Amino acid sequence: MSNRRRVIAGLVFIVAGVAAVAAGLQAQGVKIADPTSVVMIVNRDSNDIGFMDIKSHKMIGRVFLGNNVNPHMVMMSPDGRYVVTGGTRANKAYIIDTRTLQLVKVIPTDIAPEHLSFSPDSRWYYQGNPDGDSISVIDMQSLSKIKTIPGFAEPLNVTFLPDGSKAYIGNYGAHWVGVVDVRRHELLKKIQIAPVPGTAKLDPDKYLGEIKGVNIAAPSLDGRYLYAADSDLAVVGVIDTRTDSVIKTIRVGRDPWRIYMSHDGRYGITANNGDETISIIDTRSNTVAATLEAGPDMTGINFAGGKAFVISSTSGFVYVYDMQSLKPAGRIKVGTNVQLETATTDVADEKIYLAESTNHEIVIIDARTHAIERVGNVGLFPWGTHIMASKDNYCH
Amino acid sequence: MPQMNMADHRGAVQGRVTNASGAPAAEATVTAVNDENGAQFTSATDQQGAYSFGALPVGKYTISIVNAGVTTFRRRGVNVGENASETLDIRLDASTAAEAAEADRQDLLQKIATLEQRISDLESSTVLSDPETRVRRVEVYVDAQGGEHTEPIPGVEPTVTYERERVYRRQTINEKIEEALAAADEQSVSLGIDAATVTQGARRTRGRLGETGNAYALASADLFFTAKLAQYTVFFADVVALSGSPPDAEVPTLSLLNGYTARLETQNALNLREVWLRTELFGQRLALTAGRLDLTNYFDANAFANDESTQFLSDALVNNQMLGLGSNGTGVAAEFDAKTGLRFKFGFQQSNSDATNLSDSMYTLSEVGYTFTPFALPEGTYRVWFRTDNTEPGEVQRGAGLSFDQKITNSVGLFGRYGTQELDSRFDDKYYSAGVGFQNGLIFFPQDSWGIGWAHLDLASGEKEHLTEGYYNFQLTDRLRLSFNLTYVLDEPEAGGKFGYVLPGVRFQASF
Repeated sequence: MSNRRRVIAGLVFIVAGVAAVAAGLQAQGVKIADPTSVVMIVNRDSNDIGFMDIKSHKMIGRVFLGNNVNPHMVMMSPDGRYVVTGGTRANKAYIIDTRTLQLVKVIPTDIAPEHLSFSPDSRWYYQGNPDGDSISVIDMQSLSKIKTIPGFAEPLNVTFLPDGSKAYIGNYGAHWVGVVDVRRHELLKKIQIAPVPGTAKLDPDKYLGEIKGVNIAAPSLDGRYLYAADSDLAVVGVIDTRTDSVIKTIRVGRDPWRIYMSHDGRYGITANNGDETISIIDTRSNTVAATLEAGPDMTGINFAGGKAFVISSTSGFVYVYDMQSLKPAGRIKVGTNVQLETATTDVADEKIYLAESTNHEIVIIDARTHAIERVGNVGLFPWGTHIMASKDNYCH
Repeated sequence: MPQMNMADHRGAVQGRVTNASGAPAAEATVTAVNDENGAQFTSATDQQGAYSFGALPVGKYTISIVNAGVTTFRRRGVNVGENASETLDIRLDASTAAEAAEADRQDLLQKIATLEQRISDLESSTVLSDPETRVRRVEVYVDAQGGEHTEPIPGVEPTVTYERERVYRRQTINEKIEEALAAADEQSVSLGIDAATVTQGARRTRGRLGETGNAYALASADLFFTAKLAQYTVFFADVVALSGSPPDAEVPTLSLLNGYTARLETQNALNLREVWLRTELFGQRLALTAGRLDLTNYFDANAFANDESTQFLSDALVNNQMLGLGSNGTGVAAEFDAKTGLRFKFGFQQSNSDATNLSDSMYTLSEVGYTFTPFALPEGTYRVWFRTDNTEPGEVQRGAGLSFDQKITNSVGLFGRYGTQELDSRFDDKYYSAGVGFQNGLIFFPQDSWGIGWAHLDLASGEKEHLTEGYYNFQLTDRLRLSFNLTYVLDEPEAGGKFGYVLPGVRFQASF
């Protein structure tokens, strides 16, 4: 056989192979071949998870979960195989096959499941149940709940160490972070972020009324340290994960909702809803590098293009800060009388996908130009977004 | 045992109970429970181990024997037919005990499952799931005939309208109540109160001018009314009442030793201090405030030395003494905030309430401010301002000043002010102040703050004043503060004869 014939035969073989694979995928009902190619949207009022193509910004599909489920946060497993969400009003976890967009399993949890996280190896799905004061442990191999870890106080967010050995639980109904042994799925330790001030007894309405404690323990790049903001105490506690102890507390603005870590790990920013400021913490010195004015009702902070984008939920603005100079860098007006929810950033750190619930749309912000593009009719009341491997995957 | 009515349809169950060795089990209690209605019947065995239920209502029964709290036998589904007699001999051995224990366990699991389901149902049922409606602002496209389209087509004009949509959201009762309360709050007039009592003593340390050894007290109450009138538009009114005697009536210093004294126009009387409307335009970048106001409230807002209610008490460390505005009046303040750290402010106000026109009593104030993080320090704000005042007939007085507040660390910040004003076409009146403020560190409680400041006045007339003050402010609760102040002032009057005073003070302040 001549070389020319060999080449032609090879090409024919490749084309036939590709065609066969494509046909096979089609036959299996594959809707998403590349899990990194989609933006997931959790639609609270239409009770579904929407999937939007990240390039064309077209909706690929929506997976209906059931009536009155009210999904809260969506997340894809690190291996891209499954997409999961907790149905807050249904008290159930929902598992969707990423490739086929089929709802493959519904698992009862404890009361009001909201935020969740996966172990780095995709084996364990920890579902926080704030009203049940527990974490539901779901085995992603058997797709079954193997344990409910009790003993928390309004557990909001779960952070796994990079090696998957421990998970840290922010307790919004207390002033401590829970340490969970992931091998045994047991609560090992409670780390108090800071003591309640002595003047607390003079103000029982504040301290005995609604408690606003720790939302999340956010990790440094290497996972060595965790930064946990406590809303009532207005501090950030720095936890050394080797000793599971607080090595420093940093005072920040009033009522910090939580801390968000910059992608280079250099800074952590708290959104202080009490005084409508942000506190920028330098993680090298663990000191506040700047406290800058922001807006009301902040629900999230995203990082892209060397800037921080702070979502002010009720004002309709996204406040922008230059992370080199630590100066304000303007605002982006998304709309008037709109409610902004939370956002995710693409892996290239170029675009931010912001859920805007009033008009049921996703607002895509170009981090460089601040130009915005709107994608409407994504579902009712989009509450949050998620992109696989994004560094800004969070919820309210 | 329930009374039997022989007129009913009934049947019987009897039998004999033996133990593992086959011997009769005397005085054992046999229980029959109707599976349908839970009715319970008991029968004790005799010496031969015999028991009997002579007239059980027709139905299915569970027959069991419990010994010392442990079920040793259980048989489900024993049928009692009408006028029939069922025989059930029972042998109590290890296998029947195990069977009974397993049945107990299953019963318990079933009860737990039922209980869990009921709790889950209860939790689910405490949310509101009725569909509700809300009104949305939508953009539509209208053609020449008034036809409304949702998508743009040739010949249509985009326009904004409102329409209702139905929302299917489940909310808890608490969420619903919170929403309703928040909506009601938005519609109502909000009232805020700031009340303070300042007690000071004055001890002369130098010279002979003024009183010495006296104590002073001044009580102040501000009532704030705010209401939302329209989108980004609010109404505000501040009614203030003061009573008491500040040291300024007896200690003749150049600046006020109690910052509250500036508000004291009439003793024990309500005074409408400010009332204005504020609206925000151009994406909330431009804020306009118009009405009766104190223009200096909106300018030179130094972060560490600008509030007599929580920081320094002396007016020389609250206001730049060269701002030169004596009273509130009708005016307008405009602030453009580029949201990049840069701010421009301009305002004018009637400076003399006795003037018959605004032209002859015009006070203007302009300011440029910039917030940034210089030299790897935390943020600082730097301002420069300029003012004019034509209150004096045929003369326009001018003044200018600088102000900065710079955080050195998250706990420590520096501030400084400089001001000068024109007198006889020469800028000879000078004012300086500087100091340090502490928050977050070197404090007793987390929200406390303290500071030390120094101010100097040097007037063209030859009068001079040096003032030093330190304060510590305890934040007892979110609404309650207690602070201790110590002021030393040294004045050099025009006529000569220096005098100095030490003034310790206590300030109790409530704000809610």
